[in-house]
Amino acid sequence: MNKDHAASLYAVLELAPGAGLRDVQNAYLRLRRLYADQSIVLEPLEEEFTADRRREILAEVEAAYQKLLVVLHAETPKAEALLPDDGAAGTGPDETPAMVFGGLALRKIRERLNIDLNEISRELKLRLELLRSIEEERFEALPEETYLKSHLRSYARYLGLKPEKIVEDYLGRYRARAKK
Amino acid sequence: MSPTAKVQREGEIWAVGGGKGGTGKTFLTSSLGSFLAKKGRKVVLVDMDIGGANLHSFFGIDRPQRSLTSFFEKGSSLQDILVRTDLDNLTLITGDIHSIASDTITFSQKLKLFRQILKINAQNVLIDLGAGSHLNTLDAFLIADKMVVVLVPEVIAIENMYHFIKNALFRKVKAVLKEYGFKEIVQHVWDRRQEFGIRNLKELIDHLKGSFSFIGTILDNELSRFRVALILNMVRNKQDIFLGTAVKSVLLKYLGVGIEYVGYVEYNDAVWRSVRERKPFMLNYTATAGAANIAAVGDNLLKGGEIVLPGGLG
Repeated sequence: MNKDHAASLYAVLELAPGAGLRDVQNAYLRLRRLYADQSIVLEPLEEEFTADRRREILAEVEAAYQKLLVVLHAETPKAEALLPDDGAAGTGPDETPAMVFGGLALRKIRERLNIDLNEISRELKLRLELLRSIEEERFEALPEETYLKSHLRSYARYLGLKPEKIVEDYLGRYRARAKK
Repeated sequence: MSPTAKVQREGEIWAVGGGKGGTGKTFLTSSLGSFLAKKGRKVVLVDMDIGGANLHSFFGIDRPQRSLTSFFEKGSSLQDILVRTDLDNLTLITGDIHSIASDTITFSQKLKLFRQILKINAQNVLIDLGAGSHLNTLDAFLIADKMVVVLVPEVIAIENMYHFIKNALFRKVKAVLKEYGFKEIVQHVWDRRQEFGIRNLKELIDHLKGSFSFIGTILDNELSRFRVALILNMVRNKQDIFLGTAVKSVLLKYLGVGIEYVGYVEYNDAVWRSVRERKPFMLNYTATAGAANIAAVGDNLLKGGEIVLPGGLG
């Protein structure tokens, strides 16, 4: 990817070129909230920011974000790069190795991003109880693998995480438990 | 005002406007002025709220002896009408001119006033603007090096501010092109906007840039300096604080205008107490959160910085 192109992606997220993963995720979430809902900052400009225009902006933001994620993940291939500074993944309930995403790591990342479970439930149309069970690793309460996989993917994407890595790690733990 | 005139001055002009009345423009002008003066900078405040001038009362002055009235009616110079305050480095040009309404100032009076403001010998000149988008108000806003808008977290204030900035930008575009001898083009294109499929000011500017490459160069150059500093006043919670970030994004998309969100001031009982007591806030309420907020805003304005907010909350 050339520099100008990367700069234009950052510009869509209203960031200076070279901003880190955390800034990119925060900007993405902030812009998505801003243009997804009506608010007092958009209300006076209803004619400018029509539902269509807002969808357009959201699509641009989404596309720029997904492309930047690829770039940033290529630069920081280790899973730790996705985590908050305190290395949340390392403190799982049963000594999860540092590189594996379990329910607790997901919850910590979500909390660090200040995203409420209710919000995810509303946006992704997933039951709150299901999301809680994922974070608490109550595997017995979770649906069968095919469904779980799809839920995990949307949840991971919502947090701005790479879905493949999350699904792989989480299902690994899920299957290990199922064998017992 | 030619761009070169600004380079020769050592001082910086900050104009404080924003559209809606009652957002705290005068309070912030007086407080930022006090902040700068306490830092040892030489400061002159100009009350351009013609018809509603009350900047002097924020310094406990009842009936100023001299005001812009003598400038307009008797031909006094600005130097002659400076009013001293309790702060060593801070003087006022008061606007107690109830005999004159804003629209009775002639074009030549306005130019004379601006010429003299640009020559004021001070490190910072702060201009307190009135509410609304009157042409005199917009022009005073546009001569400033730092164009500051004050906003409170409510929908009407936000609407008025969008309107104010849009009007200022349109005026700037017209003034710039007039200076380069293309006075007619803007109005001409705007009048035929339906033909060109132009829906708003941003599209007008984009159209002008795209149609005439020389105009594109001029506008790129001149409008890159059209940056507005935003102060959010009377915030009551975290959500309010993040409105500044949201407004910044919206204005960028709506008008293509860059905003520096320089800070916020918490809603504070000490503020109305100081106004009621007619005592300068920054001298008498130094220990309040509001005073710390204003100092942070002042520092950002001096250094060209922005407020740093924790991520993920906006």
